[in-house]
Amino acid sequence: MPQGKLICAMTFSPKPHAALLIVGHGSTENPDSSTPYFDHAREIEKRGVFAEVHCCFWKEEPSMREALYMIDAEEVYIVPDFISEGYFTQEVIPRELELTGPTTRVHKKTIHYCDPVGIHPSMTSLILQRTAEVAPGVPQEESTLFIVGHGTGLNKNSTKAIRDQVELIRTLPDCQFADVQDTYMEEAPFIADWGKIAKTPNVIVVPFFIADGLHSYQDIPMMLGFEKDEGLAASQKDVFRNNPYHLQNKTLYYSAAIGTEPLMADVILDQISSFDAAQSDHSENVAYA
Amino acid sequence: MPPNPTTQKMSLTHKLTEALDSGINQIGQIRILRDSLQLHHIDDTDLDSLEAFDSPDAAREISLYTADGDYRFTKGELSLKKGWILNLTSIEEIRKALDLFYPASLGLWRAHELGTIRVQNLRDKLGRQSGMYRHARNISDNGAQELVQTLCGPANKCVKKILWQIDKDLSLQDSEASRWEGIVPPADATNAIPMVCQEACNFFVAEARKKSKAEFEAKAD
Repeated sequence: MPQGKLICAMTFSPKPHAALLIVGHGSTENPDSSTPYFDHAREIEKRGVFAEVHCCFWKEEPSMREALYMIDAEEVYIVPDFISEGYFTQEVIPRELELTGPTTRVHKKTIHYCDPVGIHPSMTSLILQRTAEVAPGVPQEESTLFIVGHGTGLNKNSTKAIRDQVELIRTLPDCQFADVQDTYMEEAPFIADWGKIAKTPNVIVVPFFIADGLHSYQDIPMMLGFEKDEGLAASQKDVFRNNPYHLQNKTLYYSAAIGTEPLMADVILDQISSFDAAQSDHSENVAYA
Repeated sequence: MPPNPTTQKMSLTHKLTEALDSGINQIGQIRILRDSLQLHHIDDTDLDSLEAFDSPDAAREISLYTADGDYRFTKGELSLKKGWILNLTSIEEIRKALDLFYPASLGLWRAHELGTIRVQNLRDKLGRQSGMYRHARNISDNGAQELVQTLCGPANKCVKKILWQIDKDLSLQDSEASRWEGIVPPADATNAIPMVCQEACNFFVAEARKKSKAEFEAKAD
């Protein structure tokens, strides 16, 4: 169970001889899908804490199989820019990159495999920052915060990541929200029922996804009731800039996907710091492939 | 871990610098101007008329869509739009831009030249797929050969030189795709960096899954 305190960005020790490889899903249909990964990479690159920063993808180029060829550094940190543990982080990424443990020696490189960003406790700070940005000056005690995930029977870990965040925020000593609730597109509690669940005049909705795409541009807005299926290309949508929405006698504030927050770069670095801290006592656990 | 000077290979930027100094000036559809540190489309000749960008990061935006507005999710497609010029400040920036225009192509070229590239034949690639893509392995040899000829090569989705076979005993049938050397003419190996494909991409795998399904359904009918 997560502890009820706000975790701020950790101090990051620069790694001037190492590379960072950010792994994302990508899409063959929606070019907006991979934008946040490049944004996070550029932000970290600007800070000069790694010798190199690269991205790779499942559905776009470079693929995970190609990515190591781009890298000069012999030490590589891999951070899945995914919202939860699951099939991709536990099966696909290790398989594609030939990883056999937290640290793997393969193809003359030492590769450290970190946890996905979405499960790091510092995501809590990010969510709260996003709520303040999207609903400035709106009193928390008169507001319900909904964190929205996809929800599916295929991956229980995706709902766990959201439930953990809800619990973290609820137990923060200075949390003033009247209610914080996990909701989903495809399983109960459904985001479509937001009007029945929320007992407050204000509602803030944060989609718990890395990238904006059809789910955050169109599907969730349709479930919330302020968007119709107009078939517009995703990047033509303006759903995040028309706040607030007045629906069901409530005032609703809708955020872009949490992964589009520039401070996700800090969460990536935090996840690397957490990896180093966890592995510092287990340096003998290097697997040689 | 600091780099070991005795084992560290030449950096990719150093390798690119050497190539440019020896007369290389093209990769894919991009002209590389060594002295002025500029990149532009090989079909653009009036450089003063081009829209200028000054960051290597602009490469992603430039290469995202075709001139018709279609999303270019395979960057090796012969559809890079014209009308732009990148004014850069170093070979390092050229490398960064090229890594966005043609992801990993410089690194794959280096590995191919060094003989360290890890080529994986199609059957091995499909055989290790899991989840919904595990069905891709059931595609017939003929179906796989057809896919190569309809997805790969300059007429289709990619201008990389294919290094893999169907399996260790079955090479690709002769076609434009199988013959392609990874260089867009009129350039040749004396002035262009070849783009190479060490294993089928995930788009190919997804299409193999569809083809396998269609073959199965055709048999059932």
